[in-house]
Amino acid sequence: MTAPTFGARARAWSRRAEVRGVFLIWVVLTALLCLFSFVPARLMGAPASPTKQAVETTMTLFTLAASPVAAFVWAIAIYSLVRWRHRGKQAPTEDGPAIRTNTPASALWVVVSSVLCLFLLVWGFVEVQAVATSASASDAMVVDVTGQQWVWTFSYPQEGNLESDQLYLPVNRPVIFHVTSKDVIHSFWVVQMGIKVDANPGETTQTSVTPDRLGRFDIRCAELCGLLHADMETSVHVVSPTDFRSWLRSNGGPG
Amino acid sequence: MRRLNVGTAVAGGLIGGSIAWFLAHQFLATDNPSGSNQVTILTMVGWAIGFMIGIGAFHGPWCWLMGRDQSHEDEKFLAGDGQGIGRYFRFTTDHKVVGIQYLVVTMVLLGVGGILAMMIRTDLIRPDSGFLSPQVYNSVVGLHGLTMIIATIIMVTGPFGNFIVPIMIGARDMAFPRLNALSLWLIVAFVPVLFSAAVLGGIPTGWSGYAPLSDQAPPGMDAYLTAIVIFAISSAIAGANITTTILTMRARGMTWNRTPIFVWGTLASVGLAIPAFPMFMGSMVLLGVDRTVGGQFYVASGGGSPWLYANLFWLMGHPEVYVIVIPAVAALMELTPVFARKPLFNYTAAVLSIVGIVGLSIMVWAHHMYASGWAPDLNGPFMLTTELISIPTGIIFLVVLGTIWRGRIWTTLPMMSTYAMLWNFIIGGVTGIYLSDVPADYDLHGSMFVTAHFHYTLMGAGLTGAIGALTYWFPKMTGRMLDRRAGFASFWLVQIGFNVTFLSMFAAGLAGQPRRVEHYDSLFGVANLVSSLGAYVIGLGMLILLYAVVSSWRRGPLAPANPWGSKTLEWTVPNPIPLENFEVLPVVIADPYGYGEGDLRVPVPRAPAPAEAVAGAATGADGATTPTGAVMTRTDAPPIPEQERP
Repeated sequence: MTAPTFGARARAWSRRAEVRGVFLIWVVLTALLCLFSFVPARLMGAPASPTKQAVETTMTLFTLAASPVAAFVWAIAIYSLVRWRHRGKQAPTEDGPAIRTNTPASALWVVVSSVLCLFLLVWGFVEVQAVATSASASDAMVVDVTGQQWVWTFSYPQEGNLESDQLYLPVNRPVIFHVTSKDVIHSFWVVQMGIKVDANPGETTQTSVTPDRLGRFDIRCAELCGLLHADMETSVHVVSPTDFRSWLRSNGGPG
Repeated sequence: MRRLNVGTAVAGGLIGGSIAWFLAHQFLATDNPSGSNQVTILTMVGWAIGFMIGIGAFHGPWCWLMGRDQSHEDEKFLAGDGQGIGRYFRFTTDHKVVGIQYLVVTMVLLGVGGILAMMIRTDLIRPDSGFLSPQVYNSVVGLHGLTMIIATIIMVTGPFGNFIVPIMIGARDMAFPRLNALSLWLIVAFVPVLFSAAVLGGIPTGWSGYAPLSDQAPPGMDAYLTAIVIFAISSAIAGANITTTILTMRARGMTWNRTPIFVWGTLASVGLAIPAFPMFMGSMVLLGVDRTVGGQFYVASGGGSPWLYANLFWLMGHPEVYVIVIPAVAALMELTPVFARKPLFNYTAAVLSIVGIVGLSIMVWAHHMYASGWAPDLNGPFMLTTELISIPTGIIFLVVLGTIWRGRIWTTLPMMSTYAMLWNFIIGGVTGIYLSDVPADYDLHGSMFVTAHFHYTLMGAGLTGAIGALTYWFPKMTGRMLDRRAGFASFWLVQIGFNVTFLSMFAAGLAGQPRRVEHYDSLFGVANLVSSLGAYVIGLGMLILLYAVVSSWRRGPLAPANPWGSKTLEWTVPNPIPLENFEVLPVVIADPYGYGEGDLRVPVPRAPAPAEAVAGAATGADGATTPTGAVMTRTDAPPIPEQERP
């Protein structure tokens, strides 16, 4: 086969009604889904850390990548239903064409889904690496987090083990949380910063974040921990470094 | 033996439970928590053993032990021969009876789980509704989860794996009919044990039963763990039985590449259950040791580890979701060619995708534990295996889309389920990809987003597939046609309600609402209100489905042997299906997807086949004067070679 023959076949193929119909629906649906792709990040709210920002980027990007795929599946479903639907209550009187398989279509499908999967993996591994790097910042502040039914306690080992039931953090300084539990499994979730790690009895787990926005954000328990699980929430206050020092002083910490 | 039925079983169970309870109180110290846990577990085990004795499950082994064997009349009685409705309430070995029994048990479980779901959504309709107390709420969440998980595990391989698969492969019954009845009645014994948790202080842990919360839970947890042990025994028996049946009892000529895709899906599901549920049982036995004699397997202060439980649980828990989804989707792949009047597209790829999912599914369990802190270095590898599953899952879409492409789409109720799956499973799959991404999961784990995601897969694909299977095989299983109008109304209510409920639940999760909370920030108010309203629409739709099933079963128009013009073997037997299904065993000469290829495969009805069966084959879509689509022939003599080559 020479190139012109292939081109002629492709042109003939592209003139077929079902190809054009599916293509049209696919383009419209893809466009709609691409517009929708920005909705998840909006629902997640304004990020309060680069970590959450990265999660929201991932959500948008993955939705964009999934849009043509979902649109393609739904385009074929919609087109086939509109064009080839058998009307009437009785069984169709004749069969469809006996298409057993189509090797190029199947191969293309597997290749495209493998490429998409590879993209997800590369993106995921790059992100994981970025998280690991940020956790090893040298000027990081350490906060020990203890969960118990049904309160959180925070202590600052670098500040004379000052204890608090509300978390105060200086803005733009990396924080490393050492998380543990006194009784059952809890999960330490700083919602607007996009970090979460379980608080396990007898173990210390770690997570880290750099808050980059001033304000009051939510800490919730994300692992069912008994009767008052729903009430196991508190606030994190991200404040300027000077305000942080004065908070430490007013709570008996070292100035 | 002939007087035993479900009544004597309940009596036996109550006696057994009472004896165990009495003895436990006599000989054990019951004034501490582990004492009352011991009493609870022993009573439950006493109930189960008494129940199984009462139903007659041990009658056969007892006879053999005593050196007697059962007579041929006994065997026929056991198979329910000529007993009318009574055989559904006995230890009956006929696979068709067991299939119907499984269907009813599944519907009861789904009904109870659905009522619990309505309670959850009613509590969550407003941020602080106070409809349920925190203790009751947690218990309802746990019971809803566990009930639905069990119901969805058995909802396809139980009713259709038992009723349909043996006929579909051309067998007279299952490989081990008594084990078949045993697995069913163990499930029946399991149900009261599970629900007794509600009056024993509840299951405050959610269905996942995470330790050490489960170590400090009230005796409801003992009901949970005993129920799981009973269920695991039942599923191991059923798995071994169905696997053996499919491996060894397919009709002559039904080579692996002629085996219907639903049979593959059933084999994959029960095959995957065989390694999965013993893991669950093991984790529950350890929990029982923890709770009764201070084993400390999961208690950190005693040298144990909560992560041990989490690993054992998810080693079961992730294969388990494919145990649920694979047969449901395979049922849709089975019925789509019938209603598109086209061969299944790329049969080989369909089989390979099922095999690929099974293989990968046992290597992904720790993606449920990204945020647990256990082995963070393994998060990357588990992300790899998890995301690889998207490739075989994508092939399922290729197969279904390729099958409907240029078909004669006959939009019956079963086919509508296929379309609903194409919508729901895409959403479930894509949201699963977000969750497979480690940093995104650090944020989303444990939120309502996860709840919405797995409902999209287990309900949107799984339950939708099971309803598709029910509407497809209803004429064969009951001999009557399902009420089409009620079915349509139910379909639209359920699917619209489902999408409203769980799309808004995604929104609540993205905004930061955790799972399993009894009240929540008013920030999530709108999403939860919409979600609850959608849930009521699902409930209404399910009630209409229940009405359609019950009324059609009782009074629906009689169904012809093959109302859909299908080409699989189960549609060749007459209604009602005789005991042992086939007068003469069929010989298979092609796969059951030869739509549009009728002229290539002329059946040779040499043997005096039942009239309905031949007529059934002829009602196929060909509409020609010769019954061209049929692919199997019936003969009492060994096949002559030229018949095998069309």
